[in-house]
Amino acid sequence: MRTVSFVNDVVPVLTKAGCNAGACHAKAGQGQNGFQLSLLGFEPQEDYEHLVKEGRGRRVFAASPEQSLLLMKASGRVPHGGGMRLDPASEGYRLLRAWLHQGTPFDQATAPKLVSLDVQPPRKTLKTKSEQQLKVTARYADGRTRDVTALALYEANDRAMAEASESGRVKIADIPGNVAVMVRYQGLAAVCNVSVPLGAPVKHLPPSKGFIDQLVFANLKLIGIPPSPVCDDATFIRRVSLDIAGRLPTVKEAETFLASKDPAKRDQLVDTLLNSPDYADFFANKWTALLKNKRDAASDITANFAFHSWVRDSLLANKPYDQLVRQLLAATGTIEGNPPVAWYKRVKQPTEQLEDVAQLFLGVRMQCAQCHHHPFERWSQHDYYSMSAFFSQIGRKPTATAGEDVIFHKRGMAQTENKKTKLPVKPAGLGDPTLDIPPDEDPRLRLADWMGNKSNPFFAKSLVNRYWKHFFKRGLIEPEDDIRDTNPPSNPELLDALAKHFVESGFDLKAVVRVIAQSSTYQLSATPNQHNGVDRQNFSHFYPRRLQAEVLLDSIDQFTGARTDFADLPLGTRAIALPDNSYNRGSAFLKVFGRPEGASVCECERASSASLAQSLHLMNAADVKAKLATSGGRAERLAKADKPEPAKIRELYLAAFAREPQSHEQTVAEEYLARPREDAVGKPLPPEQSRRIAYEDLLWALINTKEFLYNH
Amino acid sequence: MSPKSAVRVFAGVACLALAGSAFAQSVILPTPRLLTTMPMGAQVGATVEVAITGENLEDVSELQFSTPKLTAKPKLGSDGKPEANKFLVTAAADAPTGVHDARFVSRLGVSSARAFTVSQLAEVTRTTPNTSLETALVLKPNSVCNAVMTARAVDFYSFEGAKGQRVVVECATAGIDSKLTPVLIVADAEGRDLVVNRTSGLLDFAPPADGKYFVKVHGLTFKGGPENFYRLALQDVATGAPIPRHARTRSVSSFSWSQAADFGIAKAAEAEPNNEHAKAQKITLPCDISGGFFPAADVDTFEFSAKKGEVWWVEVASERLGLPTDPFVLVQRVEKDGDKEKLTDVAELTDIPPPMKPSSNGYSYDGPPYDAGSADVLGKLEIKEDGLYRLQLRDLFGGTRNDAANIYRLVIRPAAPDFALAAWAIHFELRNGDRNAQSKPIALRPGGTMAFDVVVIRRDGFAGDIELGMENLPTGVTAAALKILAGQSQGKLLITASEKAPRSAGVAQIVGRAQINGATVTRPVQLASMSWPVRDASGEIPKPRLLADVPISVTDAEGAPITIAPRENKVWEVKLGEKLTIPLALTWRGEFSGTTLKLKADGAGFTAAKTPDVALKAATAEFVLDLATLKPTPGEHTIALYSGYVSKYRHNPAAVILAEAAQKKADAEAAAVAAEAKKLAAEVTAAPAEKRAAVETAAKAAEGKLKSAEAAKADAAKRMKAATDAAAPKDIADIVVSEPIRVRVLPADKK
Repeated sequence: MRTVSFVNDVVPVLTKAGCNAGACHAKAGQGQNGFQLSLLGFEPQEDYEHLVKEGRGRRVFAASPEQSLLLMKASGRVPHGGGMRLDPASEGYRLLRAWLHQGTPFDQATAPKLVSLDVQPPRKTLKTKSEQQLKVTARYADGRTRDVTALALYEANDRAMAEASESGRVKIADIPGNVAVMVRYQGLAAVCNVSVPLGAPVKHLPPSKGFIDQLVFANLKLIGIPPSPVCDDATFIRRVSLDIAGRLPTVKEAETFLASKDPAKRDQLVDTLLNSPDYADFFANKWTALLKNKRDAASDITANFAFHSWVRDSLLANKPYDQLVRQLLAATGTIEGNPPVAWYKRVKQPTEQLEDVAQLFLGVRMQCAQCHHHPFERWSQHDYYSMSAFFSQIGRKPTATAGEDVIFHKRGMAQTENKKTKLPVKPAGLGDPTLDIPPDEDPRLRLADWMGNKSNPFFAKSLVNRYWKHFFKRGLIEPEDDIRDTNPPSNPELLDALAKHFVESGFDLKAVVRVIAQSSTYQLSATPNQHNGVDRQNFSHFYPRRLQAEVLLDSIDQFTGARTDFADLPLGTRAIALPDNSYNRGSAFLKVFGRPEGASVCECERASSASLAQSLHLMNAADVKAKLATSGGRAERLAKADKPEPAKIRELYLAAFAREPQSHEQTVAEEYLARPREDAVGKPLPPEQSRRIAYEDLLWALINTKEFLYNH
Repeated sequence: MSPKSAVRVFAGVACLALAGSAFAQSVILPTPRLLTTMPMGAQVGATVEVAITGENLEDVSELQFSTPKLTAKPKLGSDGKPEANKFLVTAAADAPTGVHDARFVSRLGVSSARAFTVSQLAEVTRTTPNTSLETALVLKPNSVCNAVMTARAVDFYSFEGAKGQRVVVECATAGIDSKLTPVLIVADAEGRDLVVNRTSGLLDFAPPADGKYFVKVHGLTFKGGPENFYRLALQDVATGAPIPRHARTRSVSSFSWSQAADFGIAKAAEAEPNNEHAKAQKITLPCDISGGFFPAADVDTFEFSAKKGEVWWVEVASERLGLPTDPFVLVQRVEKDGDKEKLTDVAELTDIPPPMKPSSNGYSYDGPPYDAGSADVLGKLEIKEDGLYRLQLRDLFGGTRNDAANIYRLVIRPAAPDFALAAWAIHFELRNGDRNAQSKPIALRPGGTMAFDVVVIRRDGFAGDIELGMENLPTGVTAAALKILAGQSQGKLLITASEKAPRSAGVAQIVGRAQINGATVTRPVQLASMSWPVRDASGEIPKPRLLADVPISVTDAEGAPITIAPRENKVWEVKLGEKLTIPLALTWRGEFSGTTLKLKADGAGFTAAKTPDVALKAATAEFVLDLATLKPTPGEHTIALYSGYVSKYRHNPAAVILAEAAQKKADAEAAAVAAEAKKLAAEVTAAPAEKRAAVETAAKAAEGKLKSAEAAKADAAKRMKAATDAAAPKDIADIVVSEPIRVRVLPADKK
């Protein structure tokens, strides 16, 4: 029998069997029950030491391989917390036994180095409910190749669309679109991109207004999903006002828009909304949570208000995105004089700084690479510390406010120690060569230069993907901040085109919003046709979304005429303009609807799902009831107004849904208003009081519709 | 006594007093403080009515200013009597524009200072609320509006703008002592925000079209109230012209730089591009260069030749000009090898260190919260080799900031030895969090002594002794100061009002004198103080500034509660290694809580002196200096003893006597009027028909008189109650500082 390689045979068996998974013997720090392996076998040398030399050598027993703890445990012959991992009849078991038999040689120096991984087929169109076997070949430095299909690990990026078995067999479910199956072996990864067409005839396409529509519709045609038609004006004004300005259109805005015959009115509305301070408020709300503008102590108020306002004002002034990020990354001075310095109050460690920056602005999750090679990415610890080195020369001086420092560039050579090798590492952008930055230059400025470079492969993509998700519920890459080779976009050409457009616009954030909101794709109806109901990622129709906590609260306030009172802020301040998370504590509403606490750079911190608690809150909670009955509110005003009831009902529908009531809705409402009411003891109520109650009920009923609670 | 045990002792005193009172003790005896003026400024040549608020405002007799060109007289009411706390302030036609200090003189003396601006702009004062678009106050061009920020609201102003115009809107706050951090917004005719500034209170706005615009002002965190006042200026400025900024008070750090500094060196300007070594601007030393940290990440590189042995002093002023900058200087030697250059670091010059460690502003008090250092540069450059050198100047805060207003002055000169001095009143012991005692005007009580820290920044290698002293002191007031010894950066100053000192209020000077190059050089000591009495330092950072001058007063209303003085006013002599007993005399005025005074010593070399505990009300004590354990340098020293104490303070008991007399008078008048009315009422019925009408009229008049007499009586009773309540003894914690004890230490006898 050939010599078994520890590096190329034993370790892959352990990996495939899950021995060196993070939850098992590769658990950070101590491994499992005294036996430690490196995560996914990235450190064969260490694994060899642990396996062969530790535990008084009882894990391996060359004289009698079957008696080695390694095999006894793995096959479950002695009690093993991880259960049976290897069948004694399996190829893996046989390899381990052979290695033991050969005297447990270690061959890192001589073993051929794995250089690439090849998966066949790399790209394939498959029908729904079909199957495909993958074949994985490892290629070594000495030119040899090896079929490692049995040893590789498989994972689909959308498990609802495809499942991959341990042996590399891919089963396609019944959802059309693009799915990627990631194949991992020994620190390398490859991907098989599968296109699953629906195959329905695509006869009618909405008008194409630009590159977005061209690329989305081309994809729909390719995979045979007919898009829904463009939505009506009422749906559009409500949808776009909620998505750009974070609020419902007013009755007057809705009336004017619906009445307008101007063919360019939709484009104009997008521009009007983008030029309003509401746009800045709404997007600042999004960004400040991600930038961790979090109130931990009462004294944080000044820093938090200043930071939130800086983001808001920057968006109002439409500061180019690369400039905005530059001012944040390389902030110096005091918070009061230069508010982005507040970010360095929240995010103090260089490791956290690089991780947040990478995830938020590059869409790359680097956390894993602090302690080991990233399991399904090309990033190593060297890459991690190279990024960290950009933050190595941050000087701090204490200020009069406890916990707040003055930030400045500390002269010196930018470098940081690789915790693994203990060697100093100089700064480098991801995938870029090392930079020699003179001691007088602030390395953070060089990081900003690298990020804002037109050819940066992450910066623009990450932003357009994030904004795409804002408008379409789903990113072209999901999750939106996990861009990697093994997680390809559902429409790569579209992502590239959006990124290119963004870069060419000079990183103009409003331009991204404009090009998206003015596209036909964004304006498609939410109502599916007979074919496209199954579509979840090709944007063949609009995917409805529950209004987020702040927007819903503001919408109820706007609809009822109530005002929520927020601590320290002027009465009338809207929830989307709240500077930090401290307001969640005092507002059951914001909490139950999932307003984030600013603890994470991930948008996933915001709960966007619906829950029973939310429904109950809307139906029964005292704060919602108080809003319905608010003095001077819409219910009271309409009850008292000297106007025919149909006109009042029309106002309600315009205010809630930006549309006219339909005739049956009109009839139901009128009948309800006309119904006589009694008090608790059965005495008829005076007409004014009865009418007011009836209006409050109507408002309540409209708020509790899906049409109100969702952007659709 | 170690500082730690000192804290413990003081805490003991505080606890003792607390046991007797359910209420929190206040700190420091009543101190006159001017908190607000409305308006906060006057136009040159105009007279404005100014209303003041403050603490301990009884019997305010004067409103004074740090310039004689501002004068005030009480505003008289329709009855010809002065209206309380209102003055007519006149800015003379030649009054210097800028910020001056205002202060009042009251029963207890001169108050703390408040900024008062003289400007060329027309002044208005907001009188009605303007917290909505509809109620916006119309601003005229080239005017300034005085207002107080409304809490949790936005103040609205409007103006007419024209396309092509340049409108500069400025909101002056911190620079005129306000607590407001302003947010300034220009909005369109519908009130939609167009441009915003939250960091400098300035907007340079070009109206996009003719029409109405709104200015919105609010606090960064929507704070408001009387202490959050502001002056909002609207000015038309020609395109390209420099922006006229509202004058500001001076930061403490700025005492070491004089705006008018002239080193007798030809002035030059920085010339861009000079960011890179290859584009270094060639200069010759000495030099005096004005430049700017602009645009973002600007580096100014200068190249010069220097010879071995030369010593140059490099000074940069920027932060001390009131700018948010942090200059950094790097000097490198350049060696050329063909096309290649080798750069060797010669000097890195950064912050000017504080001469006295400032408080960390933690919860516990650990020193005075005055940072007399600066982010600017002042340092020595020694040339060790003949050759070519480059100096790079950058702003460590300037990496991403594009603000042409951030300028600097770079001076490289041969040594011009000099010094700059600053001082502030100290309060040796403070209860956690309460820092109000640091807002301390020099309002002396007879028999009282105030202590001051004096710090020096030595320039260009000057290391000699500095004698401190005061000039123009009022009668009965003396100052004793420790000499700042060679190489030292701190000293102490004690100002004492004798028991017999008459009432006065004037302006004195504190000076430092030194011998430099054989000549006597005199420099003023610039006084610093806190802008506000801060009672909770965890919620508000105390903000200090330099005062314009040194106002000083002595009250005749009450004496200091305790006087501690050496029995004899002389220089006490003692030899090193021997003991000296200094008998002390103590004078007690009023009542006190606790049992003893735990004295501590202050004065370089003597802080570890064993100090006596003195029983309450003891008339004498002994201070024994053991120079076997203390080892001060031979020469003359000034020592002060100090202690915390708790006084059962009676606020203005004289007012009770006056109020009582007034009440008696009002009671008597009311009784007389009542009797008269009763008499007339009786006469009405008895009067014959022909006289009845006249008697009736008289009776009615008497009834009217009675009503006002009864009102006067009630008012007098109210005043009496207020005066009595105020005069009821209340525990107040304060410190007592002894009169200076002068000691001459002689060398030990040679054995």
